[in-house]
Amino acid sequence: MQRRIMVANRGEIAVRVLRGIREMGHIGVAVHSETDRAALHVAFADEAYPVASYLNAAELIAVARERRCDAIHPGYGFLSENAGFAALCAEAGVIFIGPSAHSIASLGSKTAARELAIRAGAPVVPGSDGAVGGFDEARRFASKIGYPVLIKAAAGGGGKGMRLVESERDLDAALRDAASEAERSFKSAEVYIEKALIKPRHIEIQIFGDAHGNLIHLGERECSIQRRHQKVIEECPSPLVALHPEMRAAMGEAALRVARESGYMNAGTAEFLVDGDRNFYFLEMNTRLQVEHPVTELVTALDLVHMQIETAFGASLDLRQEDIQWRGSAIECRLYAEDPANNYFPSPGRIERLRMPSGPGVRLDSGVYEGWNVPLDYDPLLAKLCVWAGTRERAIDRMRRALGETEILGIANNVAFFQQLLASPAFVKAELHTGFLNEFKFEAEALLDEAELRAAKAVVKPVVAAPTAVSESRWARQGLKELMR
Amino acid sequence: MSADVREIEPGKAIVVDEGRVIRVTHSGGKVLVNGKATEVDLSDPRDRRRGGGAGGANGRQEVRSAMPGKVVRVLVAVGDVVEPGQGLLILEAMKMQNEVKAKGPGTVTAIGAAEGETVAAGAVLVTVE
Repeated sequence: MQRRIMVANRGEIAVRVLRGIREMGHIGVAVHSETDRAALHVAFADEAYPVASYLNAAELIAVARERRCDAIHPGYGFLSENAGFAALCAEAGVIFIGPSAHSIASLGSKTAARELAIRAGAPVVPGSDGAVGGFDEARRFASKIGYPVLIKAAAGGGGKGMRLVESERDLDAALRDAASEAERSFKSAEVYIEKALIKPRHIEIQIFGDAHGNLIHLGERECSIQRRHQKVIEECPSPLVALHPEMRAAMGEAALRVARESGYMNAGTAEFLVDGDRNFYFLEMNTRLQVEHPVTELVTALDLVHMQIETAFGASLDLRQEDIQWRGSAIECRLYAEDPANNYFPSPGRIERLRMPSGPGVRLDSGVYEGWNVPLDYDPLLAKLCVWAGTRERAIDRMRRALGETEILGIANNVAFFQQLLASPAFVKAELHTGFLNEFKFEAEALLDEAELRAAKAVVKPVVAAPTAVSESRWARQGLKELMR
Repeated sequence: MSADVREIEPGKAIVVDEGRVIRVTHSGGKVLVNGKATEVDLSDPRDRRRGGGAGGANGRQEVRSAMPGKVVRVLVAVGDVVEPGQGLLILEAMKMQNEVKAKGPGTVTAIGAAEGETVAAGAVLVTVE
């Protein structure tokens, strides 16, 4: 039966979901802000309607009802983990493609999720039982569990409202910043404190359930390469789990215990930290499709968006745990409009040139096009470049080849950063941890050899007939860097 | 030996230099050569190096915005004495916040942007002397 499905999102994830909707023969309905009236996702929809904001639940639901949409796919970010939005959808008779409002509420706050995990018997990191009230309480608690500690937004995700605190001296400032960022991002200033593990890995388990009580896991993703607590490279399988296959079953079972306890259905991700002794600790459940879901899709040969839509309309999951198989190795690089030479600062602006890679084993989920003006208003993710190959080593080679075919001009971006990162011995040896990038040195100065300099001069002619000078500096000049920091 | 330039589309050429293939993509003065970014100065070189530099003598610092963004909080006031590394204001771009810090010690003599104000790249945010 053909359905009308609204995608309440933008950028690459809206494109990805609209592709799935189109593949299934349904009708894709896009919404867009004024800034996004000519955004790529609009071109992938059958119908498109303007909205004031991707965050206005009442407005989105009004559009969905007016346009007779059967369901809303929330993507990630925006309202995707907002229990109130899911509840409003249910009241309006529009299917929310995701877990129930009750599940989201029980897992949406990290403190609630933690309590639920403890009840379910999943291991958790030592931390405050609930939100911390004020500076004094925070100070007492942090000294009790010992520094370093992490401050996190109770309602948050994606690194927003999160601060690492090395010593008591920095606690007050970090609490203030985290709370105000949490308030702005999630409309809740509640923060909590937990012990920061030393050089942990971030490994997460994809789970999936239907409305009939069937729940399975689809294995893990390694997401230890992060900057500002946001992932930039993800892999499936985790190289650590690949060496210790028993971890997959154990972590999968822990994730499913949490999911069962919350009556979970649809796609979800249980995030874990893993310490040097391979102990794993449940962090939180992301009650939505994850940015990095493509690496799981590549290795399991499943389509999570199709599964989300089918089960949201009541279908039973036609997979059992023993049907899930993992084959080969997939890597994702998140291509951002940001400057890796300047603390990854966002770089909005017009994309003057854009050439994206293709060829064997390459998957591209992009939300932009040449000539698109990357707006200041949203997350600076341009595209997700994924590769698949038989082994991790070959997947790294393939990613480096694909990055070599990628050309972005006009905005600072992290293509060269990934090239260097994927070539670094520590990454190749899979010595991964969440602080990896603090130790990684990006060399902004890419020196051209003589033939390359000659080629540049031969192609690019100065406006004024004068001796051509090829600057040694990169776009992000040293001067700018010094001014910023 | 001169390089053999073969334009394959506007803004993109391959240069075959003694058999070696070099890919050159460009827009404005920004150039990618075999994926490596560089710049070619398109103006008359005699015009360069004119117009005020960022940091002058006597430790005067003009702290500028590297990117367009929005000032979410100003942490100092005119007359404040600041230390190196001290936060001056918080700039938000694309939902990410960056604390703009003082490079060196000094006294804040001017604040070029108010809270809530949107600033362009290169705008002087705070002057410290």
